[in-house]
Amino acid sequence: MRVEWWIILSVYALSTGILFFIPKNKIRLAVVAFLFKQIITFLIGLVVVELGLIEYPIRLFASINRTSFTYEYYAFPVTCALFTVWYPNNRGRFIQLGYYVGFTSILTIGEVIIEKYTDLITYIHWEWYISWITICCSFFITRLFCIWFFSKSADNLL
Amino acid sequence: MKMEYFFLTGMWIFGLIGFILFIPRKDRRKGFLALMMFQAIIWLCDMPSFQYGLLSAPFREFPKATDLALTINYFFYPALFSIYYINKKEKGTIWTSFTYFFLWVTLITLFDIMIERYTDLLKYGLLTWYGMWIYIALLFYVSQICCNWFYKEKALLQTERQES
Repeated sequence: MRVEWWIILSVYALSTGILFFIPKNKIRLAVVAFLFKQIITFLIGLVVVELGLIEYPIRLFASINRTSFTYEYYAFPVTCALFTVWYPNNRGRFIQLGYYVGFTSILTIGEVIIEKYTDLITYIHWEWYISWITICCSFFITRLFCIWFFSKSADNLL
Repeated sequence: MKMEYFFLTGMWIFGLIGFILFIPRKDRRKGFLALMMFQAIIWLCDMPSFQYGLLSAPFREFPKATDLALTINYFFYPALFSIYYINKKEKGTIWTSFTYFFLWVTLITLFDIMIERYTDLLKYGLLTWYGMWIYIALLFYVSQICCNWFYKEKALLQTERQES
C-alpha cells in the first residue's frame, strides 16, 4: 500500500481519536460546529478544485469526486469541533488570538508537509498563506455561527 | 433557456422562499440544524451511490470538481427536509406522522423522477423509481432520528448554551 493511503488511514484514526477529547456535556456544541464547518468546506473545496487552484491526486471516491473527502467531510470539521468546545471564552484577548493562531498554524503546517512529500494534495495556484488565512477565517465564521446558535435569546430553541 | 438552468434557478429560489416562509422565526435555529444534518447525511450516502452507479448527474454545477449534484444535495433537499422537520406535529398519533412522512417522501420522489425524466440534472443508473423512494425515505428517517437526538435532552442544551 502506498504511503498516501496509510496517511489517509491515520488521518481517520487521529480524527476519531480527537472525538474522545470532546466533553460529554458539549456534544451538541461540537455537532453544530462540525456540521456548519462542512457547509463551508464543501462549497469552498469544490470551488477551489473547479478553478484549478488545488489538486488532490490521491483521494477517496476518486472516480466521482476530485476534492478531498477525508479532509473536508471528516478531519477538518472534527478539528473545528475540538476548536470550538475548548475555546478559551473567559481568557484574555491575547490568549484567544493565540488559540486561533495555534490551531490554524498546526493545520497549515500539516498541509504544507503533506503537500511537499506526498501526492495527497498539490498546490497549483495556491500558497501556504492562503491556506492559513482561509482556515483561520473558517474557524472564525464557525465560531460566530455557534455563538448565534446557542445565544441566550434562543429561548425558543427548545 | 435550457431546462436545466430553469430547474436549478427554480430550486434555489423556491428553496429559499420556502425556508423563509415555512420556518417561523422562532424555529430558525432548529431549521438550520435540520438542514445541516440532512446535508451531512445526503453527501455521505450520495458518495457511494454515485461511485457504484446507482445514479449520476450528467449536467451539474461543478463538472470538473465533482460528479455529484450540488444544488440538490447542498441546498434544495436539505431545505425541504428542514421545512418537513419544523412543521411536523410533535403530538400526533403514529398514523398521522406516518402519513405526513409518506406524503413528503412521495412528493419529493415525484419531483426527483420529473427531474430525471425531463432534464440531465439526474439520471438513474441501477436505481429505479421505488429505489429512489426508499433512498429518500431512508435519508429522511435517519436525519430525523439525528435531529430528535439533538433536541432530546433540554437540560444539556441549556448548559452548553451557558458555556459557549
